[in-house]
Amino acid sequence: MNRAPLRPPRIPAGLLRLAAREEDRFAVLGDFDEEYAELAEKIGRAGAARWFWLQGLRTAPRLLGDYLYWRIVMFKNYLKVALRNIRKQKAYAFINIAGWAVGMTVCILILLWVRQELSFDRFHPNADRIFRLTLDAFLGAPQNAPVAPTPAAPALVREFPEIQAATRIADPRPTYVWNEAREFRVDRMAAADASFFRIFGFPFLAGDPETALARPYTMVLTESTSRKIFGTEPALGKFLKGEDGKSYAVTGVIKDIPRTSHLTFDILRSFETLVVADRATAENWFAISNFAYVLLDKRADPAALEAKFPAFIDKYMGSVLKSIGGSLTLKLQPLRRIHLYSNFALDIAPQGDISSVLLFSGIALLVLLIASINFINLSTARSSTRAKEVGLRKTLGADRGRLMAQFLGESVLYSLLAMVLAVGLHFAGLRLFENIIGRPLETNVFKIPWMIPAMFGLALVVGLAAGLYPAGVLSSFQAARVLKGKGRIGGGVFFRRILVVTQFAICVALIISTLVISRQIQFVKNQRLGFDKDQVLVIPRLTPALRQSFDSVRAELMNLPGVLEVGASSLVPGRGIARSVFFPEGFDATESQLMDILSVDTHFLPALGIRIAAGRNFSPELATDRTDSVLINQTAARRFGWADPVGKRFVVPPDSGAPTQYLNVIGVVEDFHITSLHQKLEPMILFDNRDGARFVSVRLQPAGLSGTLALIKKTWTRLNPGNPFDSFFLDDVFDSQYRADERMKDMTRQFGGLAVLIGCLGLFGMASFTVERRTREIGIRKVLGSSVTGIVRMLSKETVLLVLAANAVAAPAAYFLMNLWLKGFAYREPLSVWVFIFAALMSIGIALVTISTQSIRAARGKPADAIRYE
Amino acid sequence: MKELSKIEEILLVAIWRLRDQAYGVRIRQHVSGVLGKEFTYGNLYSALHQLTAKKFIRPATGLAAPSRRGRPRVFYTITPEGREALQSARELNAKLWLGFPAFALDKDKIG
Repeated sequence: MNRAPLRPPRIPAGLLRLAAREEDRFAVLGDFDEEYAELAEKIGRAGAARWFWLQGLRTAPRLLGDYLYWRIVMFKNYLKVALRNIRKQKAYAFINIAGWAVGMTVCILILLWVRQELSFDRFHPNADRIFRLTLDAFLGAPQNAPVAPTPAAPALVREFPEIQAATRIADPRPTYVWNEAREFRVDRMAAADASFFRIFGFPFLAGDPETALARPYTMVLTESTSRKIFGTEPALGKFLKGEDGKSYAVTGVIKDIPRTSHLTFDILRSFETLVVADRATAENWFAISNFAYVLLDKRADPAALEAKFPAFIDKYMGSVLKSIGGSLTLKLQPLRRIHLYSNFALDIAPQGDISSVLLFSGIALLVLLIASINFINLSTARSSTRAKEVGLRKTLGADRGRLMAQFLGESVLYSLLAMVLAVGLHFAGLRLFENIIGRPLETNVFKIPWMIPAMFGLALVVGLAAGLYPAGVLSSFQAARVLKGKGRIGGGVFFRRILVVTQFAICVALIISTLVISRQIQFVKNQRLGFDKDQVLVIPRLTPALRQSFDSVRAELMNLPGVLEVGASSLVPGRGIARSVFFPEGFDATESQLMDILSVDTHFLPALGIRIAAGRNFSPELATDRTDSVLINQTAARRFGWADPVGKRFVVPPDSGAPTQYLNVIGVVEDFHITSLHQKLEPMILFDNRDGARFVSVRLQPAGLSGTLALIKKTWTRLNPGNPFDSFFLDDVFDSQYRADERMKDMTRQFGGLAVLIGCLGLFGMASFTVERRTREIGIRKVLGSSVTGIVRMLSKETVLLVLAANAVAAPAAYFLMNLWLKGFAYREPLSVWVFIFAALMSIGIALVTISTQSIRAARGKPADAIRYE
Repeated sequence: MKELSKIEEILLVAIWRLRDQAYGVRIRQHVSGVLGKEFTYGNLYSALHQLTAKKFIRPATGLAAPSRRGRPRVFYTITPEGREALQSARELNAKLWLGFPAFALDKDKIG
């Protein structure tokens, strides 16, 4: 064989090279070459080539199969080692996986919610051409609300060709309807013009969207309302009786309104109904209480249209506005901005808020960042304890690639396990989260197609990142160095400290916020309200018919045992306010005063325990009390500078030509809060006017409450056959004004708990790392006579300092934010320094408990174990 | 002790017989001769891997050979465990055919 070896055919040789395992490649190809050369000698090159082709083609698939088989065997081996590791370090594995999973869960939940918030009102086909009218007005008082003068909507369509359609919507409110004799409560009944369904894309199940609301006394129901009232029978063409006693035809059924609609209703009746019932109001430009929405042409420019509004307003309202010295500006608010960018005191429904969306997104990002860094950190810290294992493996011949694969595979496995756990946890968390945000969430991760792949990608990336450090650094260690104990990880201490400080700062800020918020809620609930909210039952449905016979109704109720007093009023505390402008005598005609109005009967003040500060209450004997006498509150007296208000007067602006009339102040009531303590007490004027009353307040004896309640219900139903009995306790309704605040408290508390959990994980990672790093130092100290407590103290010092630093960062931030939040209350508990001290002590306590397992274990270890490797 | 498959048994015997010539080409040629048909390298190497994993044989890389265009030969030697496995396989075969004359099979075929 002294000739140069022959080159075998390329194609089968290439095939073999691809199919063979890397370890075999030389052996297999060499064997082929050798045999090919032999055959070429014996039977010639053509025969040898044929053999090579045949043999190569038969061999390649088998080699490939073999390759794959061994791959799987290897993978199974890695998996086995990884799972064995988890089992060996249960606590560590649990903490690490659970921490990362909780972080991911929080992030998922927030992401779902943010996505829902951002998708509001986008389902309408014309969403970007729909606008709501809002106004900025001064009519004796500044007014900024998403409402428009009632005749404005039809007038706009008439005057501006770029407005294709406009609809008015009357405030949705709870009511009752009757199907034959059966009564149904409806939570939200609104009214809208016929063009409503041309503007909004609510899909019809029955009826014609074009004409459904064209005629008076017609109604469109949602699917579930229809099912509630008519069951499975078709609702279309049926009739329902309304609270006004009129019969309404059902002209349409629409699909239930998506949660992501800011406009919601159960029944929509035609606005024509309201026009027919009260044409004067419908045509009054100063009846400003209905909402209005317009649909613009595709080419219309909303800004240009808005610029034409002043002339439009001037045309219809100019002269009156001038005479009262008022002003009114109409604006267009894009539909898609209503949910997140509205900030009106009064709105068609409570809206979301872009700042909370941003805040939550920030929190989600922060939680994700911290949780992932913790995961990476804890994995790294743990792996440093395995430096010796790595050294040993290397001496035994493990190559670097294998070690890297092992570390990477392990951390990726942990991360993926955490992801699976997070998907499970998020289902459990959905309900909890709904409670926190006070809104239903209609989705979960499986309803969003990109969610699972995105989470998988994230888990993979974080898993790889967590494995990268140990894989890269540890596997590169020289075995000898590692075994001598020199291969410890030293870097990143500063980074770890920053991380711990950041995490604890968040914890501390949340602890402070929780404390401040609960204290404030406690404060407003304990504040003297000026009336006694306990044991007052309110019946909110005093109908006109009942008002006629109220004297006898009241007498019947008063006769019941356990009933102390019964009074009627237009409003009760916690159920909104009514305001108007008054002219106290002695002030300039232009200095009108905005006052809360309350119509009461003579028994209302005693029923609520509101005291008279000066003068007298209205008297049933004096007829003049019902015509020209009023009570005011102390705030009003102070505001007008009336030291002795009894006998003072208000001027009633006369109709043209008539003589001036006066309202005489006959008494002053002590200030009482008709609104929550978010709002300041305003001047109030009270009239003796039972015709304005809608609420009946019944003061009860504390004993035998439920029995009394049943008696009242029975009496009420007997006196008002056909009318449903409805009631609530005054304190419940009044306290429900703080529901948003309570929710805020829950939120900070729950996020605070989470933050503490995650922060402790970070601290735990750092502590175990520190202890590991200082094992030998501790051993030597013990040999030299340190006590266990001394060493625990030494190890705790760093932690305490870090937590103190966290407090130093968090306290000013929390102070600033909480001050901002407290500004929402007119009456507030001042921030106390004790809150900050308590939060600091609590955070230090939590931190010390967290690291105690590590430090005590280290301090109690035998010094011989600690220093034997040297 | 793991059972040997027939092909593994054949390979082990071949490696044992070939001694210092037990590398791919020779093993394949020997086995092909024993079987009386072409035995492919694919089957050869997958079986060799199994035997290696069972620690019955041990591979060792030899010197580069010119006829292999510079690629080294990989020689296989039998480990003590491999020898034991061969031994027990042989005993098993012996037990299996004990007291059963060779012609009996032919007779059965005729009958």
